[in-house]
Amino acid sequence: MNRDRESGERGAKKAQAIEIKDLRFRYTDGVDALRGISFSVNEGDCVGLVGPNGAGKSTLLLHLNGILPERLDAASSVFVFGHPVSEQNLTEIRRRVGLLFQDANDQLFCPTVFEDVAFGPEQFGLDPAEVAGRVHTALAQVGLSGFEKRAPHHLSRGERRRVCLAGVLACDPRVLALDEPTSDLDPRGKRELKALLRQIPATKIVATHDLELVVELCPRTILLDRGELIADGSTAQLLNDESLMLAHGLERPHILQHRHPH
Amino acid sequence: MHIPDGFLDAKTAMATAGLAAGGLAIALRQVRRQLPRRKIPLLGLAAAFVFAAQMLNFPVAGGTSGHFVGGVLTAVLLGPSAAVVVLASVLIVQCFLFADGGVTALGANVFNMGLIGGVVGYAIYRLVRRVSPGTRGVVMAAAFAAWCSTVLAAIVCAGELALSGTVAWPVAFPAMANVHMLIGIGEGVITALVIVAIARARPELLEQSVGEHADPGFGTVLVFGLVISFGLALFVAPFACSWPDGLDKVAKTLGFEHRAAGQPLLHSPIPVYQLPGVSSAAVATALAGAIGTVVVFALAFLLARLLVPGPAADRN
Amino acid sequence: MRHDFLDRYSRIDSPIHRLPAGTKLAIAVAIVLATALTPISVPVYFGVLGIFLVIVAVASRISPLFLAKRLILLEPFVLGVAGLALLQPNGGRVFAMIVIKSTLCLFTMILLSNTTPFAAVVSVLRRIHFPDLLTTTLALMVRYLSVLVDEAERMHRARASRTFVRNRRRLWKTLGTVIGQLFVRSTERAERIHAAMCSRGWK
Repeated sequence: MNRDRESGERGAKKAQAIEIKDLRFRYTDGVDALRGISFSVNEGDCVGLVGPNGAGKSTLLLHLNGILPERLDAASSVFVFGHPVSEQNLTEIRRRVGLLFQDANDQLFCPTVFEDVAFGPEQFGLDPAEVAGRVHTALAQVGLSGFEKRAPHHLSRGERRRVCLAGVLACDPRVLALDEPTSDLDPRGKRELKALLRQIPATKIVATHDLELVVELCPRTILLDRGELIADGSTAQLLNDESLMLAHGLERPHILQHRHPH
Repeated sequence: MHIPDGFLDAKTAMATAGLAAGGLAIALRQVRRQLPRRKIPLLGLAAAFVFAAQMLNFPVAGGTSGHFVGGVLTAVLLGPSAAVVVLASVLIVQCFLFADGGVTALGANVFNMGLIGGVVGYAIYRLVRRVSPGTRGVVMAAAFAAWCSTVLAAIVCAGELALSGTVAWPVAFPAMANVHMLIGIGEGVITALVIVAIARARPELLEQSVGEHADPGFGTVLVFGLVISFGLALFVAPFACSWPDGLDKVAKTLGFEHRAAGQPLLHSPIPVYQLPGVSSAAVATALAGAIGTVVVFALAFLLARLLVPGPAADRN
Repeated sequence: MRHDFLDRYSRIDSPIHRLPAGTKLAIAVAIVLATALTPISVPVYFGVLGIFLVIVAVASRISPLFLAKRLILLEPFVLGVAGLALLQPNGGRVFAMIVIKSTLCLFTMILLSNTTPFAAVVSVLRRIHFPDLLTTTLALMVRYLSVLVDEAERMHRARASRTFVRNRRRLWKTLGTVIGQLFVRSTERAERIHAAMCSRGWK
């Protein structure tokens, strides 16, 4: 398969936010989730991560902030701004890489919105005044000012998703890794989230089935299947390649089908 | 079996509160020491799980429905100390969020369902496990322990009510014990079914639980034992001590006769009045309980055989 | 949004709702302790308390029908056990005493739980230095109650709809499977929550 590394080489002068070198991972039940993945992402880039179910997208994201592997060893395959992901610098890594989980319910675990968004800044040791400031800024960013005292189970799905995003933004990360951010949103929720993400300057890696989101947000796409990196290149070219899409359990997104070929 | 406010008097409420607080303190200390950090969220989720499981009605004969408490189930899956913390949390939330169970009775409810239902139930489970290995053994031991702990908790509850002068012991004991001997069967069956379901879906979860809490440590066992024994001494022993007299007298007579119950060690504030046949009811209940225990043990054995296929019994 | 059963009325505005949670909790507990534990020698106390609670109920703007329904829901147990109290000398008096005390305490707690979001109660507990492990467990429990009850209902409905034969044994087996699945899912969710907590710096 063609591996288009143009985007990676062109951006060599910018800082390398993420570098992955031959990442392999096997679950305890013997399933090989990742089989030697290598790629890098420059600061400020927005990369879409696509592939069928079981491709390893979520597993890959969990490696970016050291959740996986469960026991971190010295020889890391993942580098964040040049630093290997290891036991010693976990806190720093997690400060720089914000991960948005697939199920908003898993990530929204505090009794009120304020407490939840404040969780990250508090854990990272900021003082109460600064924490409060970050919370208000983050909530304003996601358009939920005034929601501070609300309880999670009273929120709609879209609102919960946005609170989770606020919670991650409050930590001021330089890299934002998102796992299926639009999965349980209605069309309006999707539009709102897309607009929000466009405004965030951090480096973004978006793992998703929502190919329209990738087309609209990410100039570059990486295609995974069964733990292997199949293709890495410009979104327009990759997602337009019908045979490639079909061969890996995907489809050409409608939004591209209705565009003029050139 | 959630006792509401107004049923226990001051001394009983305080005694149970003290014992419950003590038991909970030990449990918390044990959990902090033994539970790996990554399992801390599991306590909260398990509490939500127990609550949700308790909300599911199971149909009993004649259109009535029974409820599940889950003390032994929780103890088998998470260990006795974690179970106490989980059950106490459930009871606290039920009390303050749903007015289910009184504030003054919180101590009693935690003692009955958490310490007796959970810890004593777990002890019985471990005892039976010694003679019954394998997955079948787990199912059988858990089912039997669930029944026993339900009945025991009911007896202690009866003792608390009697000590408070709310309900006379010769009335409370048969009423509570008999009803719960039936409810206990449901508890045992559901406990068995759930363990089997987990064994099928994620056997490693069960093995983990069965292995990890191998030894709570002598100190913990001792202190739990003391707290529970104290409770039993306060709430059950005074009344139980009158049985030998009762049994004796019944044995000496032919058929029904009015009998004054033996004097309890602790005098309840209201003297007990003997209705015809009531003291015999208490004795009859005790006998039924003894027989019931043997019968349920056999039933648990059969249930385990029914639910767990042959070859699986040899695992472990 | 269906889980109003948790605290449907705790978000409406009323003078009672605006009181600080700690105050309401303290007053409620004081009332319950006083009512449940003092011997019935002054019937006037119960009358006064009853009137006080009704005033609070009105001020709280909670639907009276809702309050009545909650009260009635919890009464049968009270009456059932209290009925046993009749079988002793003075039984009638004991019975009346229990029912009155119990009902007043129930009413107090129902008012408390419907004017105070549990999150506020948890904050109070943290402030009075309740054991940390317990407050965390309580907070997580209440947070995920609705999530789990939802899951349990969905699973039960899905399975029950596949059980065409009205077989009681099947129903019990279904119940066992549903509860078992619920536990498995709860452990998996707990792992994901732990991952989410660590991702934001929890150690």
